[in-house]
Amino acid sequence: MNNILRRQAEDQFAEELAELRKADDLARPENWAMSPQAVVTYLMGGTLANGFTVSAKYIGNRRLMEIAAATLATDRALLLYGVPGTAKSWVSEHLAAAITGDSTLLIQGTAGTSEEAIRYGWNYARLLAQGPSEEALVASPLIRAMEAGKLARIEELTRIPADVQDSLITILSEKALPVPELNTQVQARRGFNVIATANNRDKGVNELSSALKRRFNTVILPLPDSMDQEIAIVEKRVNEHRTVLALPAEAPAAEEIRRVVTIFRELRAGRTEDGKNKLKSPSGTLSTAEAISVMGSGLALAGHFGDGCLRPADLAAGLIGAVVKDPVQDRIVWNEYLETVVKERDDWADLYRVCRELD
Amino acid sequence: MTSALAVKQVTLFGIRHHGPGSARSLEQALTALQPDCVLVEGPPEADDLLGFAADPAMQPPVALLLYDPKQPQRAVFFPFASFSPEWRAFQYAAQHQVPVRFFDLPHSHRLADAAHDHAPPAAQADQETEPAEAEPDDDFYSDPLDWLGRSAGYADGESWWEHMVEQRRDTSDIFQAIAEAMTVLREQPPTQRNAAYERREALREAYMRKQIRAACKHYQRIAVVCGAWHVPALAARVAAKDDNARLKGLAKINLKATWVPWSYQRLSSASGYGAGVSAPGWYHHLWSASPTADNHAARHITIGWLTRIAHLLRAQDLDCSSAHVIEAVRLAEALAAMRARPLPGLEELDEAVRAVICMGDDRITAIIRKQLLVDDRLGAVPRDVPTVPLQQDFEQQQKSLRLKAEVGQKMLMLDLRKPSHLERSKLLHRMSLLDIRWGHPANHHGGKGTFHEQWRLEWLPDYSIDLIGAAAWGNTIAEAASQRTIDRAAQHQTLSELAGLIDAVLAADLTAAVSPVVARLQALAADESDIGAMMTALPALGRVLRYGDVRQTDTDQLKPIVDSLVTRLCIGLVNACRSLDDEAAAQMTERIDQVAQTTALLPNPEDRERWLVALFQLAQQSDVNGLVAGRACRLVFDSGRHADACRDLLLSALSRGSDPEQAGRWFEGFLRTSGTLLLHDDHLWDLIDTWLCGLSGAAFETVLPLVRRTMASFSAGERRQIAERVKRNPAGQSSQTAGDSTPIDHERAALAMPLLNRLLACGPNQRGAS
Repeated sequence: MNNILRRQAEDQFAEELAELRKADDLARPENWAMSPQAVVTYLMGGTLANGFTVSAKYIGNRRLMEIAAATLATDRALLLYGVPGTAKSWVSEHLAAAITGDSTLLIQGTAGTSEEAIRYGWNYARLLAQGPSEEALVASPLIRAMEAGKLARIEELTRIPADVQDSLITILSEKALPVPELNTQVQARRGFNVIATANNRDKGVNELSSALKRRFNTVILPLPDSMDQEIAIVEKRVNEHRTVLALPAEAPAAEEIRRVVTIFRELRAGRTEDGKNKLKSPSGTLSTAEAISVMGSGLALAGHFGDGCLRPADLAAGLIGAVVKDPVQDRIVWNEYLETVVKERDDWADLYRVCRELD
Repeated sequence: MTSALAVKQVTLFGIRHHGPGSARSLEQALTALQPDCVLVEGPPEADDLLGFAADPAMQPPVALLLYDPKQPQRAVFFPFASFSPEWRAFQYAAQHQVPVRFFDLPHSHRLADAAHDHAPPAAQADQETEPAEAEPDDDFYSDPLDWLGRSAGYADGESWWEHMVEQRRDTSDIFQAIAEAMTVLREQPPTQRNAAYERREALREAYMRKQIRAACKHYQRIAVVCGAWHVPALAARVAAKDDNARLKGLAKINLKATWVPWSYQRLSSASGYGAGVSAPGWYHHLWSASPTADNHAARHITIGWLTRIAHLLRAQDLDCSSAHVIEAVRLAEALAAMRARPLPGLEELDEAVRAVICMGDDRITAIIRKQLLVDDRLGAVPRDVPTVPLQQDFEQQQKSLRLKAEVGQKMLMLDLRKPSHLERSKLLHRMSLLDIRWGHPANHHGGKGTFHEQWRLEWLPDYSIDLIGAAAWGNTIAEAASQRTIDRAAQHQTLSELAGLIDAVLAADLTAAVSPVVARLQALAADESDIGAMMTALPALGRVLRYGDVRQTDTDQLKPIVDSLVTRLCIGLVNACRSLDDEAAAQMTERIDQVAQTTALLPNPEDRERWLVALFQLAQQSDVNGLVAGRACRLVFDSGRHADACRDLLLSALSRGSDPEQAGRWFEGFLRTSGTLLLHDDHLWDLIDTWLCGLSGAAFETVLPLVRRTMASFSAGERRQIAERVKRNPAGQSSQTAGDSTPIDHERAALAMPLLNRLLACGPNQRGAS
């Protein structure tokens, strides 16, 4: 089992989940493994009454997690929405792990997701041999979640073609899935619910119909609020990457992380951190996840081609690549930023130089 | 004596200003108590005005305004909303015909005291707005309620108070509980306060005790409504003579009081009002949704609020069905339950709306926040209420500047170097900024700085009403104009509008408005991606930088903005000039000219440098409309740089290989409207002359139409002079091209000369005639 690349949340954090369940004495909705309050504690981290420390899974606004838990507790489906790289799938997996102890009932939405993947398919050999029967029916993760009263997860809901999306409507409003071939229906048990994630950069690709929209409560996962929060996230993840990929470079200096995060935040927010200058924003998202990957590629460059210590020159290429997605508009944005902000900062002279060289 | 009386006759109600919960509890308590006298914390100077509170024309929110008639900017506002407990007390008293009085330390002492102490009068203008808060200090961390709130696990005192007091349905004993809490807090004050503050509070409390004692002589059941913080002090046993001793020898100034209409906007803490509440609209709803206190009504508050939101959204053409409202109510209640709150508060409602209705979208919630939470409700006061200070300030300035408000037009010449004239000009500019167009600038001094200003004055009767309307913006003309301008700046969306505004602000010398307008300008400038807009805005800003000091205004803040504008403009210039049709190119050329004029005057030489580099780059582009490229080349040439490169550019642009249309535009751009310059600028002359003379015969024929077309745009006089110069100074051989084909019969031509001379009013000139 140890050579598995990535373990499921309920596996990896089994001990924390068990401790939380033990310590939890608040009311639980039916078929929930713990109370909504405990779910929030699991996500946000904290110390239990018995001194056990729960690690933070989500670094950010606690209220968002409270809304998410309260939504699921009121039988409404939850839609996690946000720009790419804001921990939507991560939160969805951990919510499912905490609430039902099972995060595997997953439908990956793609442009090719068919109705069978959401409702049910058939075992054709059996279908031909026996005709329509319960045994010949291949249940989707959604049906299995309904029968067990668990949470089903749908990733990238807006990538799924609109006609297929709409098959969710009955399931969400009536909590039942008719199987006309068998003249029967699957009825959801208490505890069943759906967590979907969607990406608002793809807005308009397969926009949810308003009927479907109405059945979801939406929580937008924002980009990190504060500088320190974002640095903490980047640092944590970069160090995890480094160990997993066995990168030879030294752990990155906090100073370099701070610089990259600052650049990303400033460009994203369209203003400098001191609020004195406003800036234009590039077309890309510049999420935290991208900051992590810029740091990662910088580390790889430093380790394999440099002196093993992260220098601005190792970062510059990745940085420009992340910012300049549109060769004309973004280039202007980046040049303006270089000339009006980077150039003015005395201690950033090295970075300014290498960026100009790459231009 | 005090304590005995306090038990028998006096009931103390500790409240927090502007809280529907307190208001409701107070109303019930008053009804139960049936007092024969009501004392309310507030300035006794305004006692006479309390009668207006029951006037049906009086619509809260309104504010009591106390001001020094000599210095209207020294003023204090006491705002009241329909959900202010004090307002309920006035209403109760009016309905039951019970005497009601203010019993706080007269403000004439407090203002005199403050003026005497150290506080500069300007600082008093808006900050002295607290009637007397339950939180006796503006400082967040020293607010005693914060201590209570945080020890109860809330973010701050306000949300704690909101949950514990304002949203409470069961109001019995609430005043008892508040009094006890405050007693404990006052016994162990969490932080040390400054001495001046302590002294002032002690004075106020001594005065209030004295008033209570005086009331006890006449009345049997006295209801005292005061800030919760003061309750323990008013109930304390203090000998009357101590209080009297303390109150001896207070300084005093004369104050006037009036009622003014107020708005929820200015009642909100966001407006800087010390005792403000974050969401007056919400409180208004809490107050009006269920004036009765039963449990069933609690859910009405949630449902009513969310339904209002639904209506608001529909008015904005956003989908919101009843099903949405139902789900939002459920989520809000679930959230409240998770957080162990009896009733969904604003936060829960906000979150529910965002998650259920708005698809998580913050922009829509922002609309709601603005319209519902703050509410644009405006109060009204009866007509017979005395005048506002803004009017008095205006009249005073009119008198000292000797500017009479006269019906009928009158011209006014001002020389801004004379201080009194400068002041008049400022006043007129400020009035214009307040939308009171008393003076119209009669001459528009465009790009040239001038010491002279001409105004056409005309006073319309409507302006007096406008002036009262403008009183909401401030107490003096300068302050009101500043506020109005700041507000307007926030609404302006384009750079050029804003650049015009800053021109006006500097002319009106509104120092307070400069920073906000400049900040807004900076914000817009950074967002502005339209190079054209930046180019339109720059001349106005450049003008301000250049000529601002005529009016002794400080323009330092503008410099970095102009610098960054120029930088960004230079980076984007080439891209912005691509793919322009002829019309757009003509406009762009116009703008380039204006920017060129401006940059030539900018104090920072780097700006000029950058601009020239960008122009040179532009001139070298082959895919830019000829008009623009030609103009750019010309401007670079004029700067005296890259002379050779410019010559090459001219040659290549007008060479045979280039498209004649494009070449024609290029030449037009290069030379347009500069006939006179061509005559007097030898460099330019030489350049054109050498080029024309160097052309081969065939090449000359090709470019001739282009040259003609451009020359045609010069005035007749210019053309004649050009021709004369060519004749006088035949550096090239161009004259021969005309002369060698047919021989001229000089005698016959001379016959026509006298008439031609008369027609053209010029000397004998054969070539001009042929």
